[in-house]
Amino acid sequence: MNTVIIEQEPKLLPGDLAIWFFIFMELLVFGIAFISYAVVRVQNEEMFNQFQLTLNTELGAINTIVLITSSYFVVRAVHTIKNHGDYIGCSHWLYAAVAGGGLFLVLKSFEYYDKFSAGISLSANTFYMFYLSLTMFHFLHVILGMIILLAIAIKAQRGGYSASNHIGIESGASYWHMVDLVWIILFPLVYVMR
Amino acid sequence: MKSYFNIHTIWVALILLTLSTYAMGALGFSGLPIVIVLLLTAAFKGVLIISEFMELRGVSLLWRVIMYGWLWTVILAIAITYALTI
Repeated sequence: MNTVIIEQEPKLLPGDLAIWFFIFMELLVFGIAFISYAVVRVQNEEMFNQFQLTLNTELGAINTIVLITSSYFVVRAVHTIKNHGDYIGCSHWLYAAVAGGGLFLVLKSFEYYDKFSAGISLSANTFYMFYLSLTMFHFLHVILGMIILLAIAIKAQRGGYSASNHIGIESGASYWHMVDLVWIILFPLVYVMR
Repeated sequence: MKSYFNIHTIWVALILLTLSTYAMGALGFSGLPIVIVLLLTAAFKGVLIISEFMELRGVSLLWRVIMYGWLWTVILAIAITYALTI
């Protein structure tokens, strides 16, 4: 009996290839920033440990859960359009994800308000320089991700996507998951590890 | 893990892993073994996001090498720096 071997073609990247090059570039920048934090900490261990205790770990953890949940909503949006072609349902999941991003920004702003009103700034010390620049850089990515999600949510609501045409949604989703992925490392690194 | 329903399980797993990370910080745990546990937890969460949320499971090896390579390089580099100080 002859055996037929069927080679399975690898799956295509979800979304547009251009967004993936953008994602790789962003990950490279964040990766260098994380490693820089860890390397500088070697020379300033005591200071980093001391000032890390002043951070609001509760808000950091809540924000991690908020971002993960927002990413989960985006996954639901992609499944809704891909499997059911339901563009209204898809847009609702995307709006929920945008709301999650908004909640993240509000909670992070509370943290910043607390620090700024205590007179802490980028020049306070090396730890706060890293804490503020890393989290603010991420904060800007959350804003950009929300704008992207909002744009595709509006387009989805107007019937701009279908079960066979949803590359735009997959592209926005991939970017949002990248924002989540970066925070997954940032949270334990800056708030918890000592 | 291809089942749609498993996405819910992955979401819950990610939240539970986040709570475990928070608990270790809140209880004041420190030291190299704890750092390694925290980094492995972050890496596992990263793998779940890359493979299941980003849906990179089954895509060309090149893309997976880039994404997982980034994740493990960052995790390993951080682990080495902490090993130097603790």
